[in-house]
Amino acid sequence: MWLISKIKQVLLVAKPGVVTLSYPFAPHPVPKDYRGQPYWDHHKCIGCGGCAAHCPARTIMIRDVCQELRVMMYDGSRCTYCGRCADVCPEDAITMTPLYEMATGDKNDLSETMELFMATCHRCGRCYDHETGNSIDKMRNIGYRYDSIEMRAVIPKTTEQLDLNVLKETENFKRPEKK
Amino acid sequence: MPNIDEVKKRLTDKFKGDITNIDQPVNNRLFVDIKKDKVKEISNEVIAMGGRYLVSVGYDRLAEEGVLGLIHTFSLDKDSIMMALRTSTPENEPIESITPDIPNAGWSEREYMDLLGMKFKNHPKPKRLIVADDWPADVYPLRKDVPWNLMPPPAENVAYELDKCPEGCTVVPVGPYHPTLHEPAHFSVFVDGETIKGADYRGFMTHRGIEKLCQTQLTYNEIPFVAERICGICGSVHATSYSQAVEQAAGLKISRRAEYIRTIMLEIERVHSHLLWLGIAGHLIGFDTVFMQSWRVREPIMWLGERLTGNRKTYGMIVVGGVRRDITPELKEDILNVINKIEEELLVVKNAVIGDTAIHKRTKGVGRITKEETIKWSLVGPVARARGVDIDARRDNPYAAYDEMKFDVPVFDDCDVWATVLVRIIETFEAIKIIRQCLDKMPNDGPVLTEYLDPLAPGKHGLTCVEAPRGEVVHYLITGKENSPERWRVRAPTYPNLQGVPLMLLNDQFADLPIIIGSIDPCFSCTDRVDVINIKSGEVQKMNRHELEEMSRKYKK
Repeated sequence: MWLISKIKQVLLVAKPGVVTLSYPFAPHPVPKDYRGQPYWDHHKCIGCGGCAAHCPARTIMIRDVCQELRVMMYDGSRCTYCGRCADVCPEDAITMTPLYEMATGDKNDLSETMELFMATCHRCGRCYDHETGNSIDKMRNIGYRYDSIEMRAVIPKTTEQLDLNVLKETENFKRPEKK
Repeated sequence: MPNIDEVKKRLTDKFKGDITNIDQPVNNRLFVDIKKDKVKEISNEVIAMGGRYLVSVGYDRLAEEGVLGLIHTFSLDKDSIMMALRTSTPENEPIESITPDIPNAGWSEREYMDLLGMKFKNHPKPKRLIVADDWPADVYPLRKDVPWNLMPPPAENVAYELDKCPEGCTVVPVGPYHPTLHEPAHFSVFVDGETIKGADYRGFMTHRGIEKLCQTQLTYNEIPFVAERICGICGSVHATSYSQAVEQAAGLKISRRAEYIRTIMLEIERVHSHLLWLGIAGHLIGFDTVFMQSWRVREPIMWLGERLTGNRKTYGMIVVGGVRRDITPELKEDILNVINKIEEELLVVKNAVIGDTAIHKRTKGVGRITKEETIKWSLVGPVARARGVDIDARRDNPYAAYDEMKFDVPVFDDCDVWATVLVRIIETFEAIKIIRQCLDKMPNDGPVLTEYLDPLAPGKHGLTCVEAPRGEVVHYLITGKENSPERWRVRAPTYPNLQGVPLMLLNDQFADLPIIIGSIDPCFSCTDRVDVINIKSGEVQKMNRHELEEMSRKYKK
């Protein structure tokens, strides 16, 4: 019993031989619909904020610095690559690229910032068309948003009109710290 | 075999004045509102009817009704019924503990002592469980008035009081980091020579507060992605269970095609998880051929996951209302090829190792507990099935497309780790069978995502279970305002199984500890250092691997 078992094990190991891939010395291609690093096309983006409202890891920040300028930032350092942003984008401005070699010493290498010129009516966050369909997918933060780009933190506070006081208040936002 | 009406009748007959309301939103779910004085009696009655304790859910209703809510959930496996006993208590009034009769409720109740400040009468071990040792005693993090990002200042010189070591035994601490534990956890093992005489556990060192985070910060459709990260191995299980709970609470019926795709994803996950476990189990008993070869066999299924979902693990496939990606005819072909290959190769691995006496010697008769004890401690999954308890959520409480699947549930009466190995190997073949049936029967059209049009009403309850590779996952959901849940409770299979580990360790050899703890499914981290405490002098001596080896060589002579 024991000997037969050992012989079988030798065959089991010998038959497949060495299966180790030569990566990283040879490239390792990924399948077609792989969810790699997301890419924002600023020509297509309308600044609706759908991606920011649906990002489970809260890696997409929006700050309305004035009436016409919306700053959007993607912070790849804590992205989970779920690809939800690409799913919900009504304009297909976000694509998941096949890039996966993203080790870097500098967080900023993984970030993307866009400054979007906005016409006033596009600011309400209702141009996000998925809103009208699935009520489970409803956006919670609509209107003007004041996330902290410096601290890379989502601030769950929105207003219907641009509020300069909130803008000022959130300017020096600090994350809570252990005392 | 009582049906749901008989269960209702039996409860109302016996406890007429103590049951205020019975709610039956769907066919096989019972939500029973009871008075708090009779919690223990009614729970025992449910157990007497063949119920199995699942988990308790505590929630904060202080602002709305001035009470703390408590829900005990049970599953009547033979009758495919899941039921919840709902009660509530004012902040300072204690509630009768059900732990003396149902030992598995011990952790749940301790959890709400920590998180909600509930008080339980006659709890056998009212110690801290969840929160850190230096967490302030009067801050209850799950209460709504405590902010989600609160960070109290750390305290010095606080430590958990482990159980007293029995007379004549020595303490061997295993953890907080240990090669056999897949997360920081501390077992204080009491040994007499080489024989284990008892153990105490202090864990929850990676408690991340996911429930609180999701209840306060995220919306319904973001939570599946966080739920998936509860476990790195069986992610889809949690996402499915959560999504089903929301769908049940909302009364949303998803398309059949989406249910089939969910089933396929769950079974793919089971195949990969069992192969991973088989490898680790081999590794833990020092049989690395099993480790290498089962992981080699497993690799193609990880690549398959990449092609199906875009990621090799944490598939991100399941959302409330269905799934995100469709399975095209080409992918169908692909799945078939991969599982055929895996079945073939796994058979070779199985035949090569199943007769090896080394495995038999290390696993047979190890981690033995009786069937009665397993039922009493409400253990789940392969651990229970290896001990003669015939439960499987896929068959007992069918969800997704399992009602149309034909598969065997392997059950063994060996009551040891060897039976666990067998259960998992057979389940892998069964999983492959289920995937084939799914691909065969899957409807060819239909949307993969069903949208929910009306706003979701607050205060609805949902209770679901999913059979994960390691056992049964239970999710309880109470819907809330603003598109996010008021309470979401997750019970992973390790939660009940870990409570049974001290029992499994009892009277076993210390060298078998890794495989016994490993048999409930671990991953591993690394350390090469043990603390040896001399009980009499209280002196602590730290030893590195080299010293240990030296010592063992010396004693061997």
